[in-house]
Amino acid sequence: MLMPRKVKHRKQQRGRLTGSAKGGTAITFGDYGIQALEPGWLTARQIEAARIAMTRHVRRGGKVWIRVFPDKPVTQKPAETRMGSGKGNPEHWVAVVRPGRVLFELAGVDVDLARAAMERAIQKLPFKARFVVRPGTHGTAEVEV
Amino acid sequence: MAEITLRATAGRGIGSSESRRLRREGQIPAVVYGHGMEAVAVAVSGRELRAALSTDAGLNAVLSLQVEGSQYLALTREIQRHPVRGTVVHVDFQVVDPDEAVAAEVPVVLVGEALAVAHGDGVVDQQLFTLTVHATPSQIPTSVEVDVSELTIGGSIRVADVVLPRGVVTDLDPEAAVVHGAPPRVQARGEGEGGAEAGAAPAGSVEG
Repeated sequence: MLMPRKVKHRKQQRGRLTGSAKGGTAITFGDYGIQALEPGWLTARQIEAARIAMTRHVRRGGKVWIRVFPDKPVTQKPAETRMGSGKGNPEHWVAVVRPGRVLFELAGVDVDLARAAMERAIQKLPFKARFVVRPGTHGTAEVEV
Repeated sequence: MAEITLRATAGRGIGSSESRRLRREGQIPAVVYGHGMEAVAVAVSGRELRAALSTDAGLNAVLSLQVEGSQYLALTREIQRHPVRGTVVHVDFQVVDPDEAVAAEVPVVLVGEALAVAHGDGVVDQQLFTLTVHATPSQIPTSVEVDVSELTIGGSIRVADVVLPRGVVTDLDPEAAVVHGAPPRVQARGEGEGGAEAGAAPAGSVEG
């Protein structure tokens, strides 16, 4: 599963999930993508589950890009522990996702197969997301107003 | 290339709340600059902008911008979109000289069928979706076609192989790949237990 090789600080504060994504909102590498519509934390396991769901449905051909990286450690205190005694231990890694962020991209397959594969991947995500295509392709307008 | 006329109104309010008000009314805030002129904040009709940029010339259409009695020859430089809705929230227009070469991003269109790649279960991996070209505004091509019918697995078509129309040049590295014939994705054994398929792009390396 995805996780940083080395970090400067083992534990982080939680932060806020306000606003929409500031970057990574356009399809850059492939022809199709999954775009987040809600904010949330995406765990490394969820990223892996979505990727597997997508690649298994595509079977042959196709290329997948993962556009998010889980670089935020999430800590948990052990079960049945009294409060206090400091922050818990790092348990897993998450990617902070804000609305608009493109999470995955796919290329090399036709639009119907891509849609079906990505709908399966969307089922693995903890927030609403949608299938998007590169603007100007598949009958989409280059300029939407 | 035929010029497309677009009307713009100057004297719009500056700031986010004024811009939001304009967008509610179907207008799109924009700015006109270039060729030594002072930047002018304008607003254009969303419908007219969509019509102007939906012609065969695409986003590189040469616009005849009418701003309060003045007329400018302009190109669309930057289109800012809403991160979720994808709607246009702001546009930059750059005033250009009809005889002076300008840089423009031209979409790369793949034509033909890469049979050698398809038969080998490979993927036609497009590396460049736009090509930066230099040409006079009227000579900017709508798109650049790249024939992939001769593409093989492991092979690639480079910028130097792309045939550009007369008067159009690019300063990209001639050795840069435009399209690459990627080998087939190999399913790793025990993939269900968390192993990774070799063909899936290395995640961290393509983190945008």
